[in-house]
Amino acid sequence: MTEAILQIEHLSKQYPGFLLDDISFSIPKGTIMGLIGENGAGKSTTIKAALDLVKKDSGSVAFWGQELSSSKQLKEDIGVVFDGVNFYETLTPAKVGNISAAAYRQWDERLYLDYLNRFGLPANKEIKSFSKGMKTKLCLAAALSHAPKLLILDEATSGLDPVMRDDILDIFLGFVQDENHSILMSSHISTDLEQIADYITFIHQGKALFCKTKDELRYRYGIIRCKTGFFDTIDKSEILACRKDNCQWDILVADKEKAKRKYRNAIVDDATIDDILLLYVKGEYTK
Amino acid sequence: MKSLILKDFYNISHNAKSILIILLVFAVVFLPSSGIQNYIFICAILCSMMIITTFSFDEQSNWPLYAMIMPVSKKDIIAGKYMVLFSFSFIGVLFGIVAGAIGSIIAGNYFQAADAAPAIPLPLLALIALSCSTVFGSISIPLVIRFGAEKGRILVLASFLIPAGLCYIAYHALIFFGLNLTENLKTILLYCSPVPAAIWNYIMYKISCAIFVGQDLQ
Repeated sequence: MTEAILQIEHLSKQYPGFLLDDISFSIPKGTIMGLIGENGAGKSTTIKAALDLVKKDSGSVAFWGQELSSSKQLKEDIGVVFDGVNFYETLTPAKVGNISAAAYRQWDERLYLDYLNRFGLPANKEIKSFSKGMKTKLCLAAALSHAPKLLILDEATSGLDPVMRDDILDIFLGFVQDENHSILMSSHISTDLEQIADYITFIHQGKALFCKTKDELRYRYGIIRCKTGFFDTIDKSEILACRKDNCQWDILVADKEKAKRKYRNAIVDDATIDDILLLYVKGEYTK
Repeated sequence: MKSLILKDFYNISHNAKSILIILLVFAVVFLPSSGIQNYIFICAILCSMMIITTFSFDEQSNWPLYAMIMPVSKKDIIAGKYMVLFSFSFIGVLFGIVAGAIGSIIAGNYFQAADAAPAIPLPLLALIALSCSTVFGSISIPLVIRFGAEKGRILVLASFLIPAGLCYIAYHALIFFGLNLTENLKTILLYCSPVPAAIWNYIMYKISCAIFVGQDLQ
């Protein structure tokens, strides 16, 4: 990966009962990086540690090659959307705009009003009357209206209905049409990431199990489905993760074409991100 | 920092009507008996205490998390809170003067405190009220940052007791060391009160920064 907008190296953070352990990945310009993992895997902690919201125990995080604390300008170029709205419920989108305008030198009021209009958000209605989707759209409008080059989305699409999720995913795809823009998006809804991400980093129990291109996962990874007798004949060094479901074994392998050639009597299916996630999280054997 | 201050004013404006009613009720209760001097103090201190309410709003919306993604530092957030505290106190003093003057005229005790000791010029009185209210308010900020808005609200008594206790100790220390506190000296001390108040606020700001900088935002 070249020209990384965000570079995370050996990031670690310990809490009582939880360790975010040695996370490393980078996001090239013009791409979308998806962070997947079960609830509590460490996706949000990774994002918060990257943004200096929690103190990292070790490791380094660089945005455009610089530490976030080194320059306020860096924050002008980063738009962040969390799960839920961080404005008090009696505020209105118009007031949110005024607050943001006072915060960001790059704030574009006209663009913000365009987004409000596009998202169907009434400028003078209190946030407390908004649905979850409207609140997310408001946060997104605020995040996009100061001309960020990097969008960081922490479970931003969770809790939205499929239509709203689709609308928002379209906006993300539009955002990365500019090759200087990138997105880091954490979600446990793997279908969203399957739809738009270029890279996937899978975090499980505080560890980054892999960081790969989505195409590699979709087109190279496969699942061998077989009975116990056949399972015993499979070369264990090829197994990434496996799970026994009743009498059937689901075995995740990194090269499905090779598996098809080698195990001609076995069924080898394509692996979705959900399949991969499930096998890693619930699998009996992993490497 | 302007954005942080604006946000607090927007948030608190929602409560403006109830605060106004409380201050007017206090005017009716205290002005006839205590006079404008005490009323200005009451208004200033009540308004300064609204700073805790702003923390409560922030806590409910998890605002600090969002604030830190804006181009501001943790120190800016604390500095913003102290600016808001000063503004609230200032508004309280102004309201106390205006409402107190009107109320006093109606009550017929214009600029007279009941059993008032020596008359203090109104501008000085306003300055002392401003100093006192920021001193009381400023100690509540590190308490609320450390313990949260709800526990901090309970601990707010400490923000009155600690400075009052310190003043009491200082007063008796001066007597102990043989310094005769004449009326003249007391007046001079009152004139000087903004200086220790400013120092106190600065110390509280530094303590607040030290607590907040070390906190993880979840």
